[in-house]
Amino acid sequence: MSEKRVMWRDIDVHCAMYQHNGEDIFVIDGHVHLWDATEENIEHEGGEEFIQCFYDYHTTFTPEERQWDMDEYREYGADRMVEDLFSNAAADMAIFQPTYLTDFYEDGFNTTEQNAELATEYPERFVLNGTFDPRDGEEGLEYLEELHEKYDVPGVKLYTAEWRGDSKGWRLDDEDAFEFLEKCQELGIENIHAHKGPTIRPLNRDAFDVADVDDAASSFPELNFIVEHVGLPRLDDFCWIAAQENNVYGGLAVAAPFAQNRPGKFSEIMSELLWWLGEDRVIFGSDYAIWNPDWLVEEVLEAELTGEHRAEYGVEWDLETKKKVMGENIADLYDIDIEAKRQAFRDDEISQQFGLGDHYASEEPAAADD
Amino acid sequence: MSAQISGGPTRGAVRDRLDRVTDPELDRSIVDLEYVDGIEIDGPRVAVDLTLPTAWCSPAFAWMMAVDARDEVESLPAVEEARIRLHDHMHETEINRGVNDRLPFAEAFPDADGDVAAVRTELDEKARVARQYDAVEALLDAGLDAEAIVDCSPCDLEMTDATDTVDVYVDDRSFAVTVPNDPIERYLEKARETDLVSEPDDLLFRTPEGDPIDPESFDHVHRRGRLAQVNMSSQGGICDGLREAREGRLEGTAND
Repeated sequence: MSEKRVMWRDIDVHCAMYQHNGEDIFVIDGHVHLWDATEENIEHEGGEEFIQCFYDYHTTFTPEERQWDMDEYREYGADRMVEDLFSNAAADMAIFQPTYLTDFYEDGFNTTEQNAELATEYPERFVLNGTFDPRDGEEGLEYLEELHEKYDVPGVKLYTAEWRGDSKGWRLDDEDAFEFLEKCQELGIENIHAHKGPTIRPLNRDAFDVADVDDAASSFPELNFIVEHVGLPRLDDFCWIAAQENNVYGGLAVAAPFAQNRPGKFSEIMSELLWWLGEDRVIFGSDYAIWNPDWLVEEVLEAELTGEHRAEYGVEWDLETKKKVMGENIADLYDIDIEAKRQAFRDDEISQQFGLGDHYASEEPAAADD
Repeated sequence: MSAQISGGPTRGAVRDRLDRVTDPELDRSIVDLEYVDGIEIDGPRVAVDLTLPTAWCSPAFAWMMAVDARDEVESLPAVEEARIRLHDHMHETEINRGVNDRLPFAEAFPDADGDVAAVRTELDEKARVARQYDAVEALLDAGLDAEAIVDCSPCDLEMTDATDTVDVYVDDRSFAVTVPNDPIERYLEKARETDLVSEPDDLLFRTPEGDPIDPESFDHVHRRGRLAQVNMSSQGGICDGLREAREGRLEGTAND
């Protein structure tokens, strides 16, 4: 470990970011990965292009002194991940969102099975999600059942632009997809996370079109549709759909790190989201390891809406809103009892490992712990 | 750089034409966005070097910009041929060949699904909605209310070139307000391109779906224009960032 990281850790502890202005904010990182992009695992050039593209997003929106090198980015491993998420209590819990990409990576890029390594070791800290791909037909339905039986997944992450053979993507509103959504409903898998975001080379932009969420969301009112990356570069289409479908939520991954080097844009995007969706349907996610909650959470909590935007939109990024966006909203979707979690985390393995017991011990703001 | 060979265009004239080409997703000039790396003039032949923020910018968008740049430069009387050299793009070979050999998109990208015209239309419509916001803001600033604004037609507009302003007549031409020309002109350009406004008595402003605006829902429609702008400028923020990261990396390599 470099000196730089140690130094930063000390600064972070001083900030005690989960106690923002003396108030507890329980942070559930709604979007994390444990991926393997090692050269041995890549079996199609698309796999290399994909991780290079991820890396560009990483460097573009990460402070220079917090950027990783490509080797650690390809494979950071379970221990590093636990440390990044929890060692300074940047996050209290995290939700795995798998990304299979089995045409690109021999063992998959970030599968439920890969994520399960950590999720089953720390079941109180992690939520493990599954996935489906309607192009897999019967076999796919069986796999979904298997994920349900084996891991009891409460949600799925969907990648509509994933390549599969000659196909360059699929739509959430076609008949095959509806069959899988029906299966989700039947199995009690209520949270449907759809990646609708920036073009990721070499996937097709049009397959990330957000319009298909509309029909799916109105046809399955009992399911929750969390649109990851708030549809960027189709924020306008996304907000318009979300304004009409109240089971559509916005995941902040990609928008969140604007807080760090495009604060004015962050203010504007957040204002739009709060205006169109309200404070109950916006959900924080870091997209780890594209961005690291160990600096990102603080940036987002410290971000402010400009006076101009507050006046124009009549919305606030205040403590109550932050509590909802950073944890309470997704806790509702996943039936997470935040108070019970706080109790449990007083002496769980992770709190013991990183000396965090005091932070969960009382409602009172803890003194700086060093 | 050699002196101008007689018969060729000036660099300034070429630049002005390129300035009219927009990144269709951001609705901003490719000159302002610094996508133009070089202009080479050899008599009546012009070559334009383009680099986009990322190597994986949508091939359809890259294609549109390359074709538009070629056509704009060739619209200069002094230019016989314009060639485009797109650099550092994952599909530069297909795009350069297609644009310079004047192939249709479908022939340059045989495995692409959907044609480029539909993508262009969709983005033009978004650009219109975003530009409508600025035009309507100008009218609101001038004191017009929702009822008056939703009733405006092109025949209510009178441009005054000398002052770069436009007079907008309302209430059966009983009075007029004066607003800056620029947002109105920019809006009209896209409204015409998207075929929403062609006759003098067409309604000037529309919902994003192209319908007349009910004064009751005026505020909401106006908000959607703002949202379209925020979407474009957010995407612009991502593109800017990626371009900076890419330039930083290229510089790093050059210094090694």
